[in-house]
Amino acid sequence: MAFFALQFLLILLVCFRDIFSTFADSRTIFPTSLHRFWIQATAVVAAPLGRTLSETTPARQIISAYLNTTGIEAGYSYFAPNVPASYKIVFELHYPDGRTEFELPQVGGRATGLRLATLLDVIAETEYEPLRAMMVKMLAYAVWQEHSEAVKARAVFGYVDLPTPAEFKQGKKESYHTLFAYDIDFALAQIQKR
Amino acid sequence: MSSLTNRLREFLFAPQSSVWLTILRTGLGLQVFCYGISLRADWIEVLSRENQGLIRRDLTEAMLSAESPFIPRVGWLVDAGAYFGLSERAVLWSVWLLLIIAALLVAVGLFCRTSSVVLWLLYVCTAKSAELLSYGVDNFTVIGLFYLAIAPLPDSASLDARWRGIHPRSSVLHGLHQRVLQFHMCIIYFFGGISKCAGRGWWNGVSLWRALTRAPFDVVPPEVLIRMAFVLPVFGILVCVMEATYPIFIWPRKTRFVWFVGVVGMHVAIGLMMGMYLFASVMIILNVAAFGPELMGLGERKTASHADPDLALPAE
Repeated sequence: MAFFALQFLLILLVCFRDIFSTFADSRTIFPTSLHRFWIQATAVVAAPLGRTLSETTPARQIISAYLNTTGIEAGYSYFAPNVPASYKIVFELHYPDGRTEFELPQVGGRATGLRLATLLDVIAETEYEPLRAMMVKMLAYAVWQEHSEAVKARAVFGYVDLPTPAEFKQGKKESYHTLFAYDIDFALAQIQKR
Repeated sequence: MSSLTNRLREFLFAPQSSVWLTILRTGLGLQVFCYGISLRADWIEVLSRENQGLIRRDLTEAMLSAESPFIPRVGWLVDAGAYFGLSERAVLWSVWLLLIIAALLVAVGLFCRTSSVVLWLLYVCTAKSAELLSYGVDNFTVIGLFYLAIAPLPDSASLDARWRGIHPRSSVLHGLHQRVLQFHMCIIYFFGGISKCAGRGWWNGVSLWRALTRAPFDVVPPEVLIRMAFVLPVFGILVCVMEATYPIFIWPRKTRFVWFVGVVGMHVAIGLMMGMYLFASVMIILNVAAFGPELMGLGERKTASHADPDLALPAE
């Protein structure tokens, strides 16, 4: 019983932390004056989960391992409070003969396609620039393996702005907006391949 | 006070048949089997380090280590395999094969305890090592597999019980473990519903429209969807209300059927209209295991003092 009590205490703490941080970071029906409250509330419930401790503290690491192993490390605010934008990455591949081709990341099945959408969400939300660049370059390299004659690529990452039902009725289509772009040189990869 | 304690005890420890566990075990076994089959074409790309697939595993695992070095991962298995001279590719395919075998053993109920623990740990390893590519389905599958691994196995329909002659565990223990799953489902829907209620888009149908037209969930063409635009606000509100009030209305007999059918219907719609078949199926499995048996008259609870002696079989 004590084990289950602890399990549910952790589940509730994670859920409250998730919901408070979601309310703090998103536009909600609540007044904006509550913004500070949501941030403070997030910090309060994060403390018992060890989130205020140093990352190398064993207590924090053990709690985190338990949460991840039992699947309760994340809250349940999927598509909430609003459905997030859809992201897209396009690779502009340049060949030695001056040709240019446009490619999207390729996957073998629909199940992986759904997972790719998560990766694009993560890339969009990553604020640490070197990490974001590294993830984009890994995706570019996966595309290059299918087009190994390409010498350079420009990876353009953006979000798709979807029309509302009313706008769609008026004929408005989805539009693509660039968030950031990276130029990637495959010269080293070609040498390694040879 | 003591009457409250007694009522709580009766609620938590009311004897229950093992039907709920049969549903959970069979359902999750088949769920993981389908997960393995659906990812087979990309298995190496998703989990490899050497081949540099979509995202290198060492990046995901480095991020995992920053979170906690104790989180299970495929890298541990690859390192162990390398010690015995196995290549990364060989280890990854062995993990896939082991996952499929464990899933099938769990589905039929053979060597239940061992196979469910192996399945849970292998699934955690693969989901965590591909965390940058994981979504809700992995969380819910891990939750289900964890409860299965600690459940009072075997259930009476398993091959362990029927073929190997292992007696099912106490019905009181079954009652408690089913309650745990029920509580967790209530928390999932309550927080999911409340967080949706806070968004204006769920009240006017815009969020539902965006969810259904957002790639890669745009299975239904927007030209078809727009013809049903007038019902989107109704369904958006229904989703919010149904989820947020699930912990209230799933318990009384009079409302349980409506809420159960409503939530299961919602997941069927998610599966068909958004192409999230695995997500839909794991949610349906968890719901049916948690509340299905009593609704279907297969696992009627009895108070602890009036327990059917046939249900209270000796422990293994």
